[in-house]
Amino acid sequence: MPPRDGRTGPDTPPEPREERPPAGFSRRSFLVGASGGALAGALGGGLAGKAAAATPPAAPPAQEGPETLSGTVEVELRVNGTALTARVLPQTTLLGALRHHVDPPLTGSKEVCDRGTCGACTVIVDGRPVYSCMQLAVQMTGREIRTVEGLGTPDALSPVQAAFCEHDALMCGFCTPGFVVASTACLEKHGDPDLDTIKEELSGNVCRCGTYPHVFEAVQSAAKARGGRTGR
Amino acid sequence: MSAGPTKDPAPAAQDWQAADRPEWGANDAHPLLNTDIPRVDGPEKVTGVAKYTHDIRLPGMVYARLVISPYPRAVVRDMNFRRARRVPGVVHAEPLEEEGVQLLFQGAGGVVGIVAGESPEAAEAGRAEVSIDYEALEPVVTPEQALADGAPGVGRGGRNVSSVESHGDQQAVAAAIGGCDHVVQATYRVPVQHHVSLETHGVVVDYDGGDSAVVYHSSQNVTGANREFSNYLGLDADKVTVLVQNVGGGFGAKFGAGLEGRLACELAVELKRPVHLMLTREDEFLMAGNRSGSEQRMVGGASSDGTFKVLAVEADKHGGVGQGALPRPPYIYTVENSVAEVRSVHTATDSSRAMRAPGHPQASFAMESMIDELAYGIRMDPVEFRKKNLADPVWHRQLDRVAEEIGWHDHPHRTQPGPGGDGVHVGIGFGVAVWGSRSRDVTVVDLRVEPDGGVTASTAVQDIGQGARTLVAAIVAEELGLDAPEVRAEIGDSRLPPAVGSGGSTTTGSIGPSIKDAAYQARVELSKRVAPLLDAEPGELRFAGHRVFVAGDTGRSLSWREACAALGDAPLRVTGRFQPHLRDQGIHGAQAAKVQVDMLTGRVDVLKMVSIQDQGLPLNRMAIRSQMNGGMIQALSFALFEERVLDPDTGIMLSSDMENYKIAGCREMPELVAIIDDEDTREAVMGMAEASNIPGHSAIGNAIYNACGLRLRDMPFTPDRILTALGGMS
Repeated sequence: MPPRDGRTGPDTPPEPREERPPAGFSRRSFLVGASGGALAGALGGGLAGKAAAATPPAAPPAQEGPETLSGTVEVELRVNGTALTARVLPQTTLLGALRHHVDPPLTGSKEVCDRGTCGACTVIVDGRPVYSCMQLAVQMTGREIRTVEGLGTPDALSPVQAAFCEHDALMCGFCTPGFVVASTACLEKHGDPDLDTIKEELSGNVCRCGTYPHVFEAVQSAAKARGGRTGR
Repeated sequence: MSAGPTKDPAPAAQDWQAADRPEWGANDAHPLLNTDIPRVDGPEKVTGVAKYTHDIRLPGMVYARLVISPYPRAVVRDMNFRRARRVPGVVHAEPLEEEGVQLLFQGAGGVVGIVAGESPEAAEAGRAEVSIDYEALEPVVTPEQALADGAPGVGRGGRNVSSVESHGDQQAVAAAIGGCDHVVQATYRVPVQHHVSLETHGVVVDYDGGDSAVVYHSSQNVTGANREFSNYLGLDADKVTVLVQNVGGGFGAKFGAGLEGRLACELAVELKRPVHLMLTREDEFLMAGNRSGSEQRMVGGASSDGTFKVLAVEADKHGGVGQGALPRPPYIYTVENSVAEVRSVHTATDSSRAMRAPGHPQASFAMESMIDELAYGIRMDPVEFRKKNLADPVWHRQLDRVAEEIGWHDHPHRTQPGPGGDGVHVGIGFGVAVWGSRSRDVTVVDLRVEPDGGVTASTAVQDIGQGARTLVAAIVAEELGLDAPEVRAEIGDSRLPPAVGSGGSTTTGSIGPSIKDAAYQARVELSKRVAPLLDAEPGELRFAGHRVFVAGDTGRSLSWREACAALGDAPLRVTGRFQPHLRDQGIHGAQAAKVQVDMLTGRVDVLKMVSIQDQGLPLNRMAIRSQMNGGMIQALSFALFEERVLDPDTGIMLSSDMENYKIAGCREMPELVAIIDDEDTREAVMGMAEASNIPGHSAIGNAIYNACGLRLRDMPFTPDRILTALGGMS
């Protein structure tokens, strides 16, 4: 079965997929660019020097040709309907920005594998579930980001969150925010998914405690609570 | 949804409340316990509000990263931290070893430097700029390398073999073998397994150079942890607070501050700033412990009537520089004559640590495989062979129950394996479990009832996912006739009254009696205050359904809040202590697995697993089913996927991320049936998690044999091993 957009299952090599890949940016090029001023300058020429010297806000990605940034850049993230800014090193992932750089921190998304394997950092970007550890924060300008914190609160749980509690779809809870977000995206796509569809849609998330069967029950229960409708 | 006994929601006579000491009462007569109780901290965990150690962000905090040698044994020839110090945002980059030092083993033995930065990205960039020249030495990472003539000594005292234990009568065993109708000689190998807690080990040390500190710790033990950290910080123990509010998995590996805890404290002292030091995923694989592997060389014999006559075992534990774990053979089964020699074979690798039921899954695989081989060898149903050689009848009824649930009696081949050949074959296998579930008299619980009806129970236990916070609330709630979320459970703080560490399924049996005792005392004391208002004797009062009423006369009653108002201005405070009669020990379990083997690809799919176990009073049925599912799933994962892989030539770990060390995911999930054995009528509590993790992989291995006649004696049961075994057959 094909991997869902932006994410891959455990049976396929992880490969960040972007619906609209911004030209020229990759985590690798930023890692290179950030590893030292001289190297970044050699690779990026004037652009890198400018970024290092003036640390301007991150411009929208240039549409032609690669661009290398170093030093710190200011990113604007639209998270759960609110505009947030943070000044970060260019190699900072969306996950890193959420957890360590925006104020107040959004630590619901967890860092577990840090390489697109486990799904604990899953967020919804423009309606699709993605691994936030595989997205650069500077790529997120203009994108609509939803994190677990935006889905509900302890006093006003979303249908998925309530079903997770009711069915004990969590133990230690560290994978849980990622599963909640992926399950939410699953139900926005499939109103009344069967068990195989749920397993497929959640196959990018892993749990060590072994909550899977209760997660599946919770998603089926939440689908009923949502009346089988798709969308938000 | 609940499989539990039917509950009477009415505030009927609470018989246990008539006793003159705390009593659980009959297992089928609980208004709250022994039902499905949602976790009280569920809402915080599903919304991302729950803060784990990894999530702590403090003003002025620095993020630290360790520099670890990739080689198990090496001499550090040249170290350069200068370039790392020049990376923007790096505040600290220093060696922890001197040039010329010899590194002795992989993991904690190879930590050679530490880098800290204003952000995780800066720290990581700094670490990437550290350059170290290693002179790699002979790795000594496999047991064969360790046992070779002239191998460098890597274990304690330079010995590569230690802890040799032997027992049994060699001559009696030798004599008995001749009397067996079927003898099996086989070697069973279990690889090193990792815990893979999703939250890595680590601490956040909140210290600014003053005379006190707060340490956030991802840990399985709160009580007394402040003493260890205070040593590293150079502070008085009572000036250090350890907080463990939420833990992202432990499974036995998270006891003590660890090297990372000590280094974080030392860095905080040096920088006078808070330090966030969580291991990276690769660090975690390298230095945060593992389940020891094993090689068990066995000879077993049975008579044709199904009697297990003889067992001889030579077993090696592969715990790296640690001891490893293995219970004494013949483990669960009864055998007429047995002899065993068990030893630790040391390699220059990270020490094994406790991992859910330490030693038992290893013993289970070898013993359950041997039992199966003997049963099929004499053409006997392996369920019947097991029952014949298991002394305790509890296992008999449990095996019958899982056999029924998995469809064993309708299965076409039960005394010999399926014929194999091309195509896909289905098989069923079994295994049994045992766990002691001992408890310790260490837990103290403070309980406070406010005049406004608020209830707070306080003890320094930790919730590592087993649901301890919910138990603290629920046990008190039932005693006082409340719902679990109405009791505030205050845990995970070293300043609270002491509790037990969470290891070996000791938590429930150790805290449950103390919680119950506190709740009982509060009920008795409150009864004394309220009785005059109801014109009754204190002993006549019962607490249920948010009311306090006179037994047999529910018309004479007060609401919970009205009753608490009788306290006047001062809250009621009581202290609960361990009550041995409220706990018991001794868990039995049985599991069955149904698998499908594809003979063309070698792929094994687990179709269904069934688990049953007893645990006295099942305090929270839903959480117990979760743990039983988790045990089966971890065993499935161990059976099919998990194996630490080290390159024997360089010693470098090849499985240090979650792609190359795979754990089971959604698509591998079979139908799972978790059965709580309600025929167990012990009115006492005990921890249950270890037992559910013990026999599942053994049952899967046995099911593969039952499906197609391939006996896999090395785990995990990967397609290449299936295909290799097929090649050996043909």
